[in-house]
Amino acid sequence: MLKRSIIPVLAFALLASAGCSPNTGGNTEDSLENVSELTIYSGRSEAFIAPFFAEFEAESGIKLNIRYGDSAELAAQILEEGSNSPADLFLSQDAGALGAVAEANLLIELPGDLTSTLPARFLSPTDQWVGITGRARVFAYNPEQVSQLPKSFQDFTRSEYKGRFGIAPTNSSFQAFITALRDNIGEVKAERWLRGIVANSPRYYEKNSMIVEAIDKGDIDLGLTNHYYIFEVAKALGRDISVKDGFFAQGDLGNMINVSGAGVLASSKKASAANSLISFLLRRDTQEKFVANTKEYSLLEGVAGPEGLPDLEQIGAPTVDLDALKDLKWTQDLLIKVGLL
Amino acid sequence: MPSLDIAAESRIEAAPMKKTSLLHRGSLALTALLLALAGIPFFYLFQRASGASGSEISALLFREKTLSIFFNTFSLIFLVSLGAVLIGAGFATLLYAVKITRSALFLLLATLPLAIPSYVFTYSWIAIFPWFRGIWAAALVLTFSTMPYIFLATYAALRRVDLVQIEVARSLGFNRLEVFTKIVLPQIRGAIGASLLLVILYVLSDFGAVSLLGVDTFTRTIQNLYKASFDRQSAAILGLILMFIAATIILIEERVHKKNIASNSSVRVQSSASLITKPMAKLASLSLIVIYSFLALALPAYVLTTRMIANFQEIDYPALASATFNTLLVSTFGAIIAIAFALPLSWTIIATRSRFALFTEKVVLITHALPGVVLGLSLVAFGSKISWLYQSVGLLSFAYALLFLAKAVGNTRASMEKIPPILKEVSLTLGVSPLSTFRKITLPLAAPGIWVGFLLVLLTAMKELPATLMLRPTGFETLAVEIWSASTLSQFNQAAPYAFTLIALAAIPTFILSRPDRIQQESNHVEKERWRE
Repeated sequence: MLKRSIIPVLAFALLASAGCSPNTGGNTEDSLENVSELTIYSGRSEAFIAPFFAEFEAESGIKLNIRYGDSAELAAQILEEGSNSPADLFLSQDAGALGAVAEANLLIELPGDLTSTLPARFLSPTDQWVGITGRARVFAYNPEQVSQLPKSFQDFTRSEYKGRFGIAPTNSSFQAFITALRDNIGEVKAERWLRGIVANSPRYYEKNSMIVEAIDKGDIDLGLTNHYYIFEVAKALGRDISVKDGFFAQGDLGNMINVSGAGVLASSKKASAANSLISFLLRRDTQEKFVANTKEYSLLEGVAGPEGLPDLEQIGAPTVDLDALKDLKWTQDLLIKVGLL
Repeated sequence: MPSLDIAAESRIEAAPMKKTSLLHRGSLALTALLLALAGIPFFYLFQRASGASGSEISALLFREKTLSIFFNTFSLIFLVSLGAVLIGAGFATLLYAVKITRSALFLLLATLPLAIPSYVFTYSWIAIFPWFRGIWAAALVLTFSTMPYIFLATYAALRRVDLVQIEVARSLGFNRLEVFTKIVLPQIRGAIGASLLLVILYVLSDFGAVSLLGVDTFTRTIQNLYKASFDRQSAAILGLILMFIAATIILIEERVHKKNIASNSSVRVQSSASLITKPMAKLASLSLIVIYSFLALALPAYVLTTRMIANFQEIDYPALASATFNTLLVSTFGAIIAIAFALPLSWTIIATRSRFALFTEKVVLITHALPGVVLGLSLVAFGSKISWLYQSVGLLSFAYALLFLAKAVGNTRASMEKIPPILKEVSLTLGVSPLSTFRKITLPLAAPGIWVGFLLVLLTAMKELPATLMLRPTGFETLAVEIWSASTLSQFNQAAPYAFTLIALAAIPTFILSRPDRIQQESNHVEKERWRE
């Protein structure tokens, strides 16, 4: 009788102890041959990156345990885990999340053969992360509705665009842009610009893709977003959309290039295997596939841009310190102050 | 009412129960364990917020935005409460008052929206009506998705209303409205209040609908702060405020509830009072339910189907199968753990009325109002130190249990409270041990309530997303996670098969919940079996 009534208690004890924990039993020997599995925290979505991971698995014989999530939330998770993180490699949608993890000394310094592949502006200054692909900030617009194209991001505070454009203030790519803005033109001007934007009655969206969808539907005429969303939305809808990417004048901050990137966790015992994955992702043939499949820019010199868009060198991208993007505290405070968060 | 007197007397006698019994000590220990574990998120929030300077806190709180967050949160609570009570209690009353043959179908129609996650629901509406945004939109979505809780609770309470009282009132010349307001309403108010509390706490914690519809509530702001910064301090401060709001609402409900204790008559349950008999009135009542189910069910079904057909992609059946299995596995474990805690907590509250147990119950209720991301991160901070536990099915199930325990405790406690104490007393005087008495008397008699609690936790856990993202084992994808990962790409067509499967899966417990007759019958059956032993 007693046994039967404590079943729930036993069930719980059993549950707690029998939980499967796939991340234990790490291989302590840091050599490529001994590594059979790697744990990846991926802020890049499965639909984009899974084929690349599969190719690496086939090539290397290393099984990847991939945890998909939002880049910033994964960064927050790694910060909470600290030195107990089960992750070996962190792949992020943007440089800011990597910078924050690097700043907490949770990433190792990457070897020279990886960092020498890329121009220095696409690397962490301390070599703790490398860029993998480039993503250009653009304005997306409906060519039938917008005759006078903006020449600078500053133009969005002008009355002719009042109420006609969309932004995604909670999205990390928008916030990275605000951070770069402060880094380049100073706090006062950056705040003035953002207040000008808020005063110009933009529509707010949760995601960049929703901005592009809204332009296609005719809800708005323009929006600040990343270059690849027009391809993504067209693919998702299964048809052509009446939205194009526009670039600002040469050197305008609105054309900034952010990167998706990767870093290896300091708590990982499989650093060389993790490095080999980064090396695979930076290889020229892999990079060309990124351009063709995910419509992103390759950061390697001499690789052409996505079809229908200018090459990376021709965008007229401003010089932006990607490492500065980790300092989101000020950006967040500003967004809070003007009421966008 | 003689039954009440007996109950009152025996409660006095029951009070000095042996405090050394295994049942007593075991329940107390489990309740204490629960309190310690449920304290983790609160401890985490205090710890994260404690570093904040006064100026940082005032910069966060004394701004225009704070006003709008408060305004949005409370407007949403008000609108959803009003809508859910009007529709939920209204439908329950209609179905109770109308005598029809196909009542099971209408019960199911009114309950089925429970199976649809609020984010799927919201997405469907946006897909059809691009202008569908803002607080009214959020209020509508949340009303539709929470209404069934009030509906089920009210319907169950109505079935316990003493029909003799109604007949007496009618014979004394009361009209139908007077019968309802003077006889029926006082007896169902408690049930409406208790389910409304759960609805309000849910509204506080909802992220899916408010984020897609652009309504800045506390939970959305907290989630966005986490996304915006890797400094988790501001989010923790807002999390604490949310905690205090939830606590205040719980205390208010308790005050109201105390004035509201309805008599428990021991009449047989009745599924219909046949108050509405005119064909036209019947038709009107039922068409309301049909219109509602069209908006709440047919619309999402239509969007999902067209999305799936419009851009049909190869369905990844193995992935779909494993996500389905994982969802089922982890939500079932979550519901089992929730019941494993709800039983000792309810028992301790009823048997001892100790402040400690009542306090634990309130902590459990407050936890229900916490955003999933807060609970998730707190368990990351706590769990990552224990590598065998971290990112395990066990920890994720436990997170579900903690998040949704409130749904189980209410039902378990209420069904245990309804057991006449005299039954237990007789059993104890006959020399049966407290533990056996619990097993032979309390458990079988409370079984329907426990079962309802189990199903509610199961159902809600299936749909949970934020905590799942953080706590699931790496590579362990649930249906909710698959829907999320497809919809971040605006590729809802890819999410459609997962959304369909999730709704179909969640429809099973929903279906059982919509059939109170069956639940009751089964328990009566069990009861008889027990007595025969």
